Amino acid sequence: MTMRAQNRRRPSWFTRFWAIVRYEMLWNIRKKKFIGILIIVFAIATLVLLIPVIGSRTTNVGITKNPDYAITFGGNAFVFLLLAIGTSVNTFSSEFESGTIVPLVSKPVSRSMIFMGKLFTTFMLLLLSYTILYGYITLASLGVYGPQSHLQYMPLIVLGSLLSTFIWVGLLFAAGCLTKNTMVTIIAAIGLFLALLIAGPIITVFSGPSQSLNYLPGTGATGSFIIGTNVTSVSAGTDNIGTNLVNYALYPSTYVDFYKTNLTAITQNETALPDAGLLYTQSTGSIAATGVIVGLAYTAGFLLVAWVAFKRSQIME
Amino acid sequence: MLIRRPSQRQKETFENSKLITKLQQKTTNEEAPALDYAIETTNLKKCFDSLLAVNNLNLKVQKNTIHGFLGPNGAGKTTTIKMIVGLLKPTSGSVKVFDKEVHVDDADSRLNIGYMSELPKFPKHLKGAELLDVYGRMYGMSQQERDQQIPRLIDLVGLKGRENDLIAKYSKGMQQRIGIAQALLSTPELVVLDEPSTGLDPVGMMEVRELVKTISKEGITVFLSSHLLFEVEQICDHVTIVNQGQILASDTLQNVANQLGPALMHIELVELTAEVIAAVKKVPNVVGTWKTGSTLMVQVNTYSDIRAQISQAATSAGGVIIGMSQKNAGLEDIFIQLVTKDHGGNPK
Repeated sequence: MTMRAQNRRRPSWFTRFWAIVRYEMLWNIRKKKFIGILIIVFAIATLVLLIPVIGSRTTNVGITKNPDYAITFGGNAFVFLLLAIGTSVNTFSSEFESGTIVPLVSKPVSRSMIFMGKLFTTFMLLLLSYTILYGYITLASLGVYGPQSHLQYMPLIVLGSLLSTFIWVGLLFAAGCLTKNTMVTIIAAIGLFLALLIAGPIITVFSGPSQSLNYLPGTGATGSFIIGTNVTSVSAGTDNIGTNLVNYALYPSTYVDFYKTNLTAITQNETALPDAGLLYTQSTGSIAATGVIVGLAYTAGFLLVAWVAFKRSQIME
Repeated sequence: MLIRRPSQRQKETFENSKLITKLQQKTTNEEAPALDYAIETTNLKKCFDSLLAVNNLNLKVQKNTIHGFLGPNGAGKTTTIKMIVGLLKPTSGSVKVFDKEVHVDDADSRLNIGYMSELPKFPKHLKGAELLDVYGRMYGMSQQERDQQIPRLIDLVGLKGRENDLIAKYSKGMQQRIGIAQALLSTPELVVLDEPSTGLDPVGMMEVRELVKTISKEGITVFLSSHLLFEVEQICDHVTIVNQGQILASDTLQNVANQLGPALMHIELVELTAEVIAAVKKVPNVVGTWKTGSTLMVQVNTYSDIRAQISQAATSAGGVIIGMSQKNAGLEDIFIQLVTKDHGGNPK
């Protein structure tokens, strides 16, 4: 005979939380959209690695060995957005749209626990995706660019990519909980992404690589530093948190120079190289810390909005 | 001074208001010890902007009963149910389930409640048995309990052999069945079913009725809303009728029916003439007549006994009565009378 509900022990916090994670994990694993996006991401990574090989075969010029290729790969903004959409776009909105939210919230689990369970599952899936992705890139780099160095810093790239992605995850959660509509959620995320993608270079042209760009999600201000004869380009925004953490780990006492392009010189003499002036310098440590803090602040802000909206949502479905 | 006689319509409205007042008084005056209630709402109110969905609802559902919750579309049934199971926050008033106040997002208050919404929707990527397993974990059911309970419920709701299919492949009726199974999963003391027969074929509907009776025998209180009056009539021992967010009647089915009085009379005559029919039609509160052979069927809209007036009218018109019987109001009669009267209209 099955035990009656009133005789059963009150389930622990962990039991209920793990049940939500299991529920969400099954959903995510079987979600064809996520699998599709994962395939696209891996296809992009493969293409990036294959282009030099194809070029080398056609021109008969050998590929220059690059021991830092894997550690400086660092993902890119488009990949972060794609993976965020793949894992999070309908985490909340489709529960409302399909009506599955009703049986879920009628179970003895609080909305905060549902929120935490879904967030944790997203984190685990992204962690798994990035671990596999960067593992794949590392192995492929060994074949294309020869032996790779500083691989002990690879976890920083994974963590940085996670944080960069979680800004978009937070935005998608917030838009999903507020609008309860997947299409509006996608439009909100892609719209903001494109707006920042277009606005960043325009601002840079007119005001130079302003530090204020680093406080918006995106590429941020672009500068460079020189080690020996190698010039390394640095983007200080939230899309490069992983790479900037590695830069700090490798060159802790190095300063990055940010130059302003002289537009007048370009317009007056098209053949002349733009006259460039140093705007400011910033240490690699400061750039990495700013990226992490800004990334965490956006993530926390968006997640807070999402959590409040989810907790207060009326179940009208 | 000219005193106008009340019209037939006014008389009916007066009778109706008396009836509703009497039923409502009975509903609120009938007090039982608090612990005997599975559900108790006090001045429950829910507004959506300017729309008043539930208006000072005082509902009492006794333990170990099958309680039907009836009302036309938009009467506030689903809103009330969602407040009972803690999905919606009342604008004012309170809900108690087994004497414990229900709060939105109080997870523990839902440990002892099984709930199935109207046309329930479940994640399509899960298999039937997987869905029950994951919900069982949320209730804190052990692996052993889940291993016992899930196959039993799958069998009970008639999904044996389909439990490992994705819910995406389930028909509407099968989703309804898995919905009932998940409501019973934790063997709760209270099961709340919102329109459990929607989407089921006649055989499925009959099976649901039998299922509800079976679970009630196990000491589970069942609170169900339905549009299917015959279903409620067959399985419920208590009924609450609501309209426009207010209770019109709440009692045992028999008591509600008794208070409404005979709704239909059968008068058998030696010869049924047009004069007899005309005379009977003139009797106050007679709202319809039709003949079947030599039997005159008379529909009345009062809970007062008017057999004597009808008999007198038929006899005075030359009719010879050889038999007269009355049929107590069925749930459909009660429902239509109460709801149409609440709108100030005539019974149809």
